[in-house]
Amino acid sequence: MRRNTKFLSGAAILMLTAGVAQADGHLIITPGAGGFDWDSYEAFAAAHDLSGQTLTMTGPWTGLDAELFESVAAYFEEATGAEVRYSGSDSFEQDIVIAAQADSAPNIAVFPQPGLARDMAAGGSLTPLADGTADWVRENYAAGQSWVDLGTFAGPDGSDALYGFFYKVDVKSLVWYSPEAFDEAGYDIPATMEELRDLTEQIAADGETPWCIGLGSGAATGWPATDWVEDMMLRTAPPEVYDAWVANDIPFSDPQVVAAIEEFGYFARNDDFVNGGAAAVASTDFRDSPGGMFTFPPECYMHRQASFIPTFFPEGSDSAFFYFPAYAGKDLGSPVLGAGTLMAITNDSPAAHAWIEFVQTPIAHEIWMAQSGFLTPHNGVNTKLFPTASQREMNDILLGATTFRFDASDLMPGEIGAGAFWSGMVDYTTGADATDVATGIQERWDSIQ
Amino acid sequence: MSPVLQGAITILVGVGGCIGYFYLANLILDKVIFPARRDDAGRNINRANAVRPWLFLVPAILALGLYLVYPVVGSFWRSLFNRGGDEFIGLDNYISLIADEGFRTAFFNNFLWVLVVPAMATFLGLLVAQLTDRLRWGNIAKSLIFMPMAISFVGASLIWKFVYANDADIGIINAIRASAGMDVLDPLQVPFWNNFFLMVILIWIQTGFAMVILSAALRGIPEETVEAAIIDGANPLQVFFRIKVPQIMGTIVVVWTTITILVLKVFDIVYTMTGGNYGTEILPSYMMSYMFRDDGRATAVAFVIMLVVMPVMIWNIVQARKEMH
Amino acid sequence: MDTIAGTKSSLTWAVNLSVLFLVVLWLIPTIGLLVSSFRDRDQISASSWWKAPFAVEQAFRARAEGEVRQDGSFWIIEGNVFAASELVDAFPEGAGYPPVLAFGVTGRDPGAAPVGTELENRDGGTLTMDADGAYVYTMTEAPGNRPPRLYIVAETPPEFTLSNYSTVLGGDGMGRAFINTLTVTIPATVIPILIAAFAAYALAWMDFPGRGLLIAAVVGLLVVPLQLALVPLLSLHQQVGIGQSFVGIWLAHTGFGLPLAIYLLRNYMVGLPRDIIESAKVDGATDFQIFIKIILPLSFPALASFAIFQFLWTWNDLLVAKVFLPSADESRVMTVRIADDLLGSRGGDWGILAAAAFVSIAVPLLVFFTMQRYLVRGLLAGSVK
Repeated sequence: MRRNTKFLSGAAILMLTAGVAQADGHLIITPGAGGFDWDSYEAFAAAHDLSGQTLTMTGPWTGLDAELFESVAAYFEEATGAEVRYSGSDSFEQDIVIAAQADSAPNIAVFPQPGLARDMAAGGSLTPLADGTADWVRENYAAGQSWVDLGTFAGPDGSDALYGFFYKVDVKSLVWYSPEAFDEAGYDIPATMEELRDLTEQIAADGETPWCIGLGSGAATGWPATDWVEDMMLRTAPPEVYDAWVANDIPFSDPQVVAAIEEFGYFARNDDFVNGGAAAVASTDFRDSPGGMFTFPPECYMHRQASFIPTFFPEGSDSAFFYFPAYAGKDLGSPVLGAGTLMAITNDSPAAHAWIEFVQTPIAHEIWMAQSGFLTPHNGVNTKLFPTASQREMNDILLGATTFRFDASDLMPGEIGAGAFWSGMVDYTTGADATDVATGIQERWDSIQ
Repeated sequence: MSPVLQGAITILVGVGGCIGYFYLANLILDKVIFPARRDDAGRNINRANAVRPWLFLVPAILALGLYLVYPVVGSFWRSLFNRGGDEFIGLDNYISLIADEGFRTAFFNNFLWVLVVPAMATFLGLLVAQLTDRLRWGNIAKSLIFMPMAISFVGASLIWKFVYANDADIGIINAIRASAGMDVLDPLQVPFWNNFFLMVILIWIQTGFAMVILSAALRGIPEETVEAAIIDGANPLQVFFRIKVPQIMGTIVVVWTTITILVLKVFDIVYTMTGGNYGTEILPSYMMSYMFRDDGRATAVAFVIMLVVMPVMIWNIVQARKEMH
Repeated sequence: MDTIAGTKSSLTWAVNLSVLFLVVLWLIPTIGLLVSSFRDRDQISASSWWKAPFAVEQAFRARAEGEVRQDGSFWIIEGNVFAASELVDAFPEGAGYPPVLAFGVTGRDPGAAPVGTELENRDGGTLTMDADGAYVYTMTEAPGNRPPRLYIVAETPPEFTLSNYSTVLGGDGMGRAFINTLTVTIPATVIPILIAAFAAYALAWMDFPGRGLLIAAVVGLLVVPLQLALVPLLSLHQQVGIGQSFVGIWLAHTGFGLPLAIYLLRNYMVGLPRDIIESAKVDGATDFQIFIKIILPLSFPALASFAIFQFLWTWNDLLVAKVFLPSADESRVMTVRIADDLLGSRGGDWGILAAAAFVSIAVPLLVFFTMQRYLVRGLLAGSVK
């Protein structure tokens, strides 16, 4: 099985001490190291002095992701003298609404869903970003206008303003695999969805398990399945239908949506196709499920998940990805599903605005990029810093996508995209009928309009 | 300020404040307002004694009023408004609750919990209490069975994950199934029955509570009644059901209601084990999914829970009044 | 006589056995958690906790990194699998190597052939391996940059470690959460006792109009579901400027704990002997003096019992902490930490989860076992007359 355990716990202790040391100004990459845009860092440091101030943040990143994020925040601390306190939570979606209600929200919240941020902006819990931020995004992000649109919401008075700044984006249409396992078994990379289905059936016929799928994610259990459905939507219906679905111009129970859910069911509801059988899908944690690809014998061969997932692969495992292919028989091009986290100011302070300026510097992107699982639309970063060629490739997929659509569940109102859709997918994977599930979600949607 | 320091100060301020309040209020009452002096000494002592109980009671009444009475009224009032809280909509929240299938499931599950958990915990508690009654190592056995009382619901859920895990190498149930040649399954996803698997956790925790109280009650039964029955030729089962149980019926009912109340408050087990998925939602966890998003609905759910416990509350009050007379 | 004695002793046996059975049943889950908290992640996933004392069969992957030589049309690699770089961590040099049980050339079947036999490999040659790890790999072409794969199945000895605990207490922030839990718990235990003691005395030993009504009200409030309080109180806290904070949670726990405290203490105080209090009154003692000098010391068991109760309740609470404390690392208590962070980010890391759970239940268990006497006494005061 996994051999590096001893090393791993050693690494955990190292990270721990690093975490302590960071407070003393220890940085994970020494300023001046080659390839990084230190000028941007120096310029930012020269322009900001926030000594003695504290910047509190919350977000959905816990565990390894939280450590990575804190390694970036350490540069902000070093540059400004402010102290950054980040707390991640698996029930971020619940916690942030409670905190806003109680007026105890941190300065910055990192939203995994624009939908939830939109709700909170309408409720007056967010502060608009500084003037000029929108122009900056337009100029410096690939497809800048679309990122501006995604972060622009109506405030409590109904007028639009830019509230959310996208930082760390993900490409979702990826299938991960272990090249060695594929090689030993003699499997080829599928180029079309038809081939992917054939491969799935072939692996099952070989007496092996093709997929690892895990939907578990604490209070957010179910979200990985929404990604599957969205990807399937883009592969079975034109993008306009997708947009209408997001806006609820077509009901959730529309036959096209139900069909996409059932496309997902083809993979996830077949005991022979998923590791542990269909019942394990809903209960396996999404962070654990890919581990099955790297055991001997392999518990599965493929895992469909966004670009961030290698962070959760066992240390030292060899992995690669291929594009989650489209149907050759349907003329829908090669669509790409993506998502991103956006930062918004939930409790105004000078440090909060400084932070938004900080994440505009290339260095704030490069530090995380150079470590693991980070993609960015920022034009100014040095893409040589990606630790692997495959990550660069992913970033290229992102930058070059023709049909790019943002994660639908993230755009839907919080109660749907971060609630009913999730639990509906759990119901579906555990045996509920797709039409019933979709109808139930639509009813919930009706009830909040 | 570090929370530890803050905590220490709170203890000092809280304790000092409480003692200071009681002492000073008492002093002022006796020495300043109604001094026991001269001709109206007697009348003043009487007056002071009429006021004093309220002095003692004021902090408690304030806290109870603010933290328990006000919420009942406040929640009900809030539940009559829409999600944003700006529009009065009467009982619409309750109507839409009844129409919601999720709510009906949660309500039905909660009903099962209320039915099963108190009954099973009381029954097992009584059983253990009786079995350990004359045992030499009875006290050790009792403390071990009582132990889960000290464990948080979150901790208990984690403990039971090692029983229910969907993996024959981790979960005991699946290990037994695997050694019997059966397929591995996730007990928490077995429709309908998964509710009972979750209830087992609470029964596991509460049996000790029932046991301790019932065992004391059993000890309180006069020896003569039991001996008389044995001389009359009653077997142990008859002695237990015909003689002992009727005598401790009052205590059994108290234990039963206490656990019932607890069952209606517990949300941790469902939250950590299934997150309300797989048809295991109960009212408190259903409420969590609406709380602070649609407060109108959330408070309506809370008020439904209140309505469910109402009979228990009335029964409790009637009992308490009976005892006093 | 013999038969009666016979049935009696067999009955005793049956009772003993069934109690033993119940106790074991009750303990098994907790023991599983305890054992798992000391096991290494790989061993947990390889064998069940009740097999923890035994060696575990595990598959390992390495490369044939031995010496290469050419022999006719074949290239031959010879070496020892334990020298391979990928196995150094798992089998450090000098610690002695376990015997290899089986070997293979694909990950799909890592134990395809027993040691001492020959296995066809995917490079047109064969692989043989002995129990000590010595292997011979033949292939028809020269090996490339990456030597060919080898898989072995070997037993690893049982291993118990404290590393789960050190990870949990350090990196995963349970240490901080532990302190937060203490910070919440202590004031939330002490303050209600004081308030309740005075009120209970008034309700037990002072005569005033409305007393019966108040007692009934307290009994009624015992039942009020906590859920009702969440929404209105959080907005109230926000209006008075407390918001989500330790002060807020102390107040909330105080309020929620009071009915039980008053109820338990009153029931206990009512049972104190009337003569002592009457004679003190005759001697001219005021109510305040009676309370401080007579009632409080006599009520110690009930006070202690409520204290334990409230301590366990606040320590173990999840809901109140989720709502009344900010969801930041600096203020998270252990239950929230486990439910909202570890269960997800460490979802499959059973050892870590078990260690975290044990850290969180250690103090209550300690309190429980040392103070059990009082807890029981207080419980009885509340429910048995």
